[in-house]
Amino acid sequence: MEKYLHAPIKESIKKFPEVGRILEEYNIGCVPCTLGSCLLKDIVAIHNLPVDQEAQLMYRVEKAIYPGKDIKKPEGKAVAPKATAGNIKYSPPIKRLVDEHALIKKWLELIPAVLEKIDIESEAGRLLILDALDFLRFYADKFHHAKEENILFGYTDKNLDIIKTILQDHDAARSHVKAISEAIKSKDREAIARHLSAYRDLLIEHIKKEDEILYPWIDRGLSTRQVGELFTKFDEAEERMDKGVVDRCEKFVREAEKKIQEKRRQ
Amino acid sequence: MRDMEMGGCPGSRTQDFREDTKGGEEEGRTRQSQLKQWPIQLHLVSPEAPYYQKTDVLLAADCVAFSVGDFHKDYLKGKSIAIACPKLDEGQEVYVEKITSFIDDAKINTLTIMTMQVPCCGGLVAIAEQALQAAKRKIPVKSIVISLQGEVLSEDWVK
Repeated sequence: MEKYLHAPIKESIKKFPEVGRILEEYNIGCVPCTLGSCLLKDIVAIHNLPVDQEAQLMYRVEKAIYPGKDIKKPEGKAVAPKATAGNIKYSPPIKRLVDEHALIKKWLELIPAVLEKIDIESEAGRLLILDALDFLRFYADKFHHAKEENILFGYTDKNLDIIKTILQDHDAARSHVKAISEAIKSKDREAIARHLSAYRDLLIEHIKKEDEILYPWIDRGLSTRQVGELFTKFDEAEERMDKGVVDRCEKFVREAEKKIQEKRRQ
Repeated sequence: MRDMEMGGCPGSRTQDFREDTKGGEEEGRTRQSQLKQWPIQLHLVSPEAPYYQKTDVLLAADCVAFSVGDFHKDYLKGKSIAIACPKLDEGQEVYVEKITSFIDDAKINTLTIMTMQVPCCGGLVAIAEQALQAAKRKIPVKSIVISLQGEVLSEDWVK
């Protein structure tokens, strides 16, 4: 079993699909993960299951890998109750990142309505896509992701696979933004729609991963002193940002939401 | 636990824990104090004192340290402290000013408020909240509520 504890999860799921199904029962979303490089031992630690449920999970995984092996079944509850981000308590600096996710998610929810009718010919249509791009560049990336990459992840081991996965998501998001920018220049409507849609899918999964797994895991490891330091460093980073840009980004989402609601009513 | 009186204020009701408090096994060696300052009473302390500058401050209700067995090791270690009783102390408006000064002048890193579960102890959290509203800076604030027999009932970041 030691061998599989230290192996990338994707390899184990490929060899033993039942392992993927078991992890899903415990709300551990390794099956749809595009990388799957995290080690089983780290996955189990990061998800912080109650002791009895972790023992049950490990028993079932081991049984799936070695069906003929005589393994003692542990006692206790078999499956974890479904955790939702709303029930998780965050420290104040981490809560700030979760609140920023809320605004990003609001924009992500509007994307399907934007995709229904991408208009790059009219001034208003082009402006909407350009403002959307500004929001993704400044708010989601420079304001939010930069705080994670330059400050928060400094409190973790950057060599851990979960951090590498998150950083790869950020890079993938930046690639989509760059592609949308180029597609606007070449007035390629189809490419704008394709990359905006892919950005949305990526970020929905990414935010869920951070809100429900990464942030609670980081929070559990922070001392009181570190929580205060992080809070101050976030304040300092935000002071260095142009407040006008942040306000404009927040206004963009509010107004886009209003416009789409109005269009739906028509 | 036996209630010796019925009704009245839960904060001053007589209760007998003798049957419940086992005490447990004590380690052989002397436990080290984690206190690194004097004075500690909120009326007597000065936010200008060097041990408050940019530090993590523990604001504890007077009874807390007597109730929590491992108070020094688990809560005082690494922090500067101030103690107060929101039920009996006078001049509590000064407390609001002092905590505001901790935040703005001493630029403390965090504030942890430890109170007992009795309702009157909620006054200490209210004093801290007034100070937070008056302060120009924002800092993380944690509230820890302790049962009469020293167990942690809740531990939450509140701001």
